[in-house]
Amino acid sequence: MIKVDHIHKDFVSPKKYPGFRGAVKGLFSNEKVIKKAVDDISFTIEKGEIVGYIGSNGAGKSTTIKMMTGILTPTKGSCEVAGINPSRNRKENAQNIGVVFGQRTQLWWDLPLSESFTILKEIYNVSDEMFQAQMDFLNRVLGLPEFFDRPVRTLSLGQRMRADLGAALLHNPKVLYLDEPTIGLDLVVKDNIRKAIKEINEKYQTTVILTTHDIGDIEELCSRIIIIDEGKKIYDGSLAALKEIYGTKRTVTVEIREPEKVKNLCLAEILGVGQEDCTASFDKESSTLNVTFNKHKIQVPQILSAVMERVEIKDVQIQETELAQIVKEIYNHGMREGS
Amino acid sequence: MSKWKRYLRLYRVLITQFLKTIMQSKIDFLMGLFGFFFNQIMGIAFLYLVFEQIPSLKGWTLDQLIFIYGFAQIPRGIDHLFTDNIWLVAWRLVLNGDFDRYMLRPMNILFQVIAEKLQPDALGELLIGTILVCRALTKGIVITDALHFVLFFVSILAGALIYTSIKLFFASLAFWLKTSGPFLQMAYEMADFAKYPTEIYAKGIRFLITWVIPFAFVAYLPASYFLKSGTSPGIIGIECGIAAVLWCVAYALFQYGTRIYESAGN
Amino acid sequence: MGKRLKIYLPFAANEMKRQMAYKGAFYLFILIDLFSSFIRYYLWMAIYGSSGQEVLGGLSRSEMVVYVFMVYVTSSVVMISISTKVSDDVVMGTVAMNLIKPIDYRLSLISQAFGALMYRFLVPCIFIWSGLEIYKVTVLGLTLAGGKEILLYLLSCIMSFMIYVLFDFCFGMIAFFTTYIFGLRLVKEALLGFLTGQLIPISFFPKAVRQVFDFLPFSSMVYTPVMIYLGKYTGSTLMFMLLRQAAWVMILYLLGSLIWKKVTKRLVVLGG
Repeated sequence: MIKVDHIHKDFVSPKKYPGFRGAVKGLFSNEKVIKKAVDDISFTIEKGEIVGYIGSNGAGKSTTIKMMTGILTPTKGSCEVAGINPSRNRKENAQNIGVVFGQRTQLWWDLPLSESFTILKEIYNVSDEMFQAQMDFLNRVLGLPEFFDRPVRTLSLGQRMRADLGAALLHNPKVLYLDEPTIGLDLVVKDNIRKAIKEINEKYQTTVILTTHDIGDIEELCSRIIIIDEGKKIYDGSLAALKEIYGTKRTVTVEIREPEKVKNLCLAEILGVGQEDCTASFDKESSTLNVTFNKHKIQVPQILSAVMERVEIKDVQIQETELAQIVKEIYNHGMREGS
Repeated sequence: MSKWKRYLRLYRVLITQFLKTIMQSKIDFLMGLFGFFFNQIMGIAFLYLVFEQIPSLKGWTLDQLIFIYGFAQIPRGIDHLFTDNIWLVAWRLVLNGDFDRYMLRPMNILFQVIAEKLQPDALGELLIGTILVCRALTKGIVITDALHFVLFFVSILAGALIYTSIKLFFASLAFWLKTSGPFLQMAYEMADFAKYPTEIYAKGIRFLITWVIPFAFVAYLPASYFLKSGTSPGIIGIECGIAAVLWCVAYALFQYGTRIYESAGN
Repeated sequence: MGKRLKIYLPFAANEMKRQMAYKGAFYLFILIDLFSSFIRYYLWMAIYGSSGQEVLGGLSRSEMVVYVFMVYVTSSVVMISISTKVSDDVVMGTVAMNLIKPIDYRLSLISQAFGALMYRFLVPCIFIWSGLEIYKVTVLGLTLAGGKEILLYLLSCIMSFMIYVLFDFCFGMIAFFTTYIFGLRLVKEALLGFLTGQLIPISFFPKAVRQVFDFLPFSSMVYTPVMIYLGKYTGSTLMFMLLRQAAWVMILYLLGSLIWKKVTKRLVVLGG
């Protein structure tokens, strides 16, 4: 369905200087800075796949998506969506795709949601019968009737996201791009959105590409993930394989009294494991101890009892490993595919 | 054919929606209209005060100058009414990435930009323009044979197209500069030069507003055709030619710009 | 005084920096502003040419040249709009936030405007002014402006600035009563262009109209300093003009305070 072939995107911007004198200097300077936002990325996605496209902020996710939607023209390389080059045949491509940018609505801010759909019906040239059928489906899956007559600007974030998703699906696109579709939403709404995406994917075999920082989105939805960092693809494979790697490391944060007592504490030695399986760092300001450890080698209680033997503990927190951290880890391990 | 129908139908839907939102704030609408109307009245008052001191200006009478002034408002008002949203391209849409949404839809981009807004403030300009032209008609200073009558409307449309093209051209620079508002503003304000007979200006300025940013062809030059018998109708022909060329250049630049559009968030 | 300066000076400095940041736009806006001056210049030259007289409205042809460009210099230094900021703050509700801060809202806005004044004075105005003086001497055959005129002009300008900014503050407060200030702003600008003498010297108006203008603050904003610069006022007239400006500063200051008091009372009651 989607073929991305050695695609590149460079951004050129004028150089900026800091401060008041910098502003004066900027008046006369003409220096340029080139940023490689996407640097030689290739992948193929089949019909009906749900792919998580992951990376830290500024890694080039949005840029890749924008190239696949036809907003941006690649600097080098090519991509093809349902047999169409998006930047060359923008209109044909637009008819095939649906897009939701989590941070920004595609709807008409001041109009009631129902009117937005009327306009979209004209824009995408949707026939009356298809409009009816599709609206019935979307109303059921996304629960639109609840706020169908309200102006978009009055919708809550969760409602707006459902509305945006509905708007992107009205013309039943072959490919659906979702850029952070669950950002800022509460758990119940997130869950609803995920279910809706799943149902649409199952019913129409819609290909879905989504970027997210939410590990839950990926676990619920994606059979495959692609990770990029600094514009380069660093991982392309199943979630299970990824879990093997990130699942091993966890972090526990311990808040303690009398912090000076643990200054020279070496947990790895006490617990009898290698340095790479257990590292501790001490934060003076909040008097907390951060312990990162391999969960296959050590258990949380072991660490806690080792610490408790020496100092009094005030509070304990066990953190979920954040996706950004996994990405970094993979990058550090130099795990690259295809290059 | 069906493609045109689809565009027309969509335009109607969008504009109806837009008018609905405007009607919710009638007072705002009337104030804007009054503001533009009033602005033009001040320009006329200025002419009146000046003509207290002189009988004519470079051979033009007060009534003739008022006609030129009013005639200039009509193409400007038409352009202002229909294509005001282009300003947003220059100031904001490219800069903050909101332009994305036009790129995502299977329709002509410029059409989408334009169809999103009517500027009702422009009715103030159209109103004063029409009043002043009618005033000139009652004074009998305008030539009113059939050819002049037809060319009057041709000239107004061509003039509006010149306005739109200049606006589109400078707005398109935003694809390179992120925001081109100041440039557009500069070009647009040059239109003020053409409210008066161009022979009062130095040669360089006259050349600039006749051939580079040709606002003289929107206002003063065609207006003189309607005022002075014996002026060749060729002037309207040239006006149409300029409108066509400018439109092609501006639209090509816009098209090219959408191809190098960088979106935002980087 | 020193302490006050310490509090409000950063407002002025920041505004200057902000203006520097928009480099290209900044030059262009200077050019745009100059357009209307040049249109007026050519228009007046044609008018003098067509009239066959050397003096119109009490100004000779050369004095009119000076008038047109000094109006540009004066109005761009003096007329620094704060009403947009005021009405934005009203609409966004940030005015209420300013009530809790230990600074005077109006004074902080005026300080910002003063920063803009200094910047505009340094970047376009001083050059245009010098250019005009050179043109005056070499082409028009007039003498250079004297030190006394310049000093009196600058003094008058400072008061003009205060009159305009204090007036504009009151104008911005209109946003408390209507949400749509854009149309009104257009009307204000058109009216000010006329009433301040920017568009045409006030001496061109019929006598009855001029007498009405005498009771309005607008001619004190631009017309007065430019006429002082041209040396049109001397002796007691000059004193009267300066005193009248000072009086307007006082009146508009008090009026602004009054409106502000009313408005903040309403804010406190309604919770803005």
